[in-house]
Amino acid sequence: MTHPSAALPHAERPSAAPVPQWAVLGVLFGLLSAGSIALFGPIGVSGTYPRFIGASLRAVTPEYAAANPYLVKMGALLTPETTLVVGLLIGGFLSSRLFAGPKAPAADRVHARETTDSRRYVDAFIGGFLILFGARLAGGCTSGHIISGMSQLAVSSTIFAAAVFAGGIGTAKLIAAWRA
Amino acid sequence: MNLVYGLLVGVVMGALIQRVGASSPKMILAALRLEDLTIIKFMATTIAVGALVSYLMNLGMPMHFDIKPTYVIGVAVGGLIFGAGFAIGGYCPGTCVVGIAEGRKDGFVALLGGVFGALAFTLVYTLIEAPLIKPLSYGKITWADVVHLPTIVVAVVMAGALLTAVRLLPTRRTSA
Repeated sequence: MTHPSAALPHAERPSAAPVPQWAVLGVLFGLLSAGSIALFGPIGVSGTYPRFIGASLRAVTPEYAAANPYLVKMGALLTPETTLVVGLLIGGFLSSRLFAGPKAPAADRVHARETTDSRRYVDAFIGGFLILFGARLAGGCTSGHIISGMSQLAVSSTIFAAAVFAGGIGTAKLIAAWRA
Repeated sequence: MNLVYGLLVGVVMGALIQRVGASSPKMILAALRLEDLTIIKFMATTIAVGALVSYLMNLGMPMHFDIKPTYVIGVAVGGLIFGAGFAIGGYCPGTCVVGIAEGRKDGFVALLGGVFGALAFTLVYTLIEAPLIKPLSYGKITWADVVHLPTIVVAVVMAGALLTAVRLLPTRRTSA
């Protein structure tokens, strides 16, 4: 019996290993990405951060918010991208509760220098700061640029993906070399 | 209605990210250290299927494509900064949200860092627009515009290349 699979249509060893889970999930995510473009537009996340800042500043200091060209450009908070981010919370919560698996740690120490949870939180904060600064400069993040952008064959997204992996792999190697 | 579609797409996306382990900083670092390419292969499969299906659908129905503009310096510098943050924290702007839902406190700290990062960008936008965003700007171009071929042809070629790479590359490094 051959294994029906969208990811590996011509599996060389049909009786061997089953289709890996990441391949099934990748095909589903690809269908979701195309479905999103059919329904309302490409999947994206990082634009929600400045839209949230815009909504907050419009409440606190409306004159500044109206004068900042970037906040004006990003527009109002209530967009499908914002409800998508709310959906991420719901989907992530349901999935972690409904499916069996190891419980996610509160502080996932990933670098040798993260000898305490506090040091882990410092890295998480710096990392979070840089990914949003970089994503807003480039105009998108992993979902908007790499997943949706490359699926749409965008030249900009290909440049972004190459830079992300160059910067990411290089930084991961530097941190390992610098381990204190 | 689009707000509801966005919410539903987000729910499914959150579950997929959680299932594949992309909300785990350990998995992200394993990928960036080239020790375990699961997340990279997952992303490449997603891109290939997304490109094929969306440009096939485009032959028969209107699609809401939204191509991001190409401004070489800002996109490349932004990508390098993003990559550095990706390796330091192990999160993306979306995976930290999924992480919070799983009970990851460092995901919440990353989200907080992200709010400050976006705020910093908002404050310096007018300063960096001229040197980083205005130069080498080519507008909303795709590879199909560059090579002058139909989008579906370019989508098939790119999907084929990505899926071939996914098939050929080992998922985990066998030797240390």
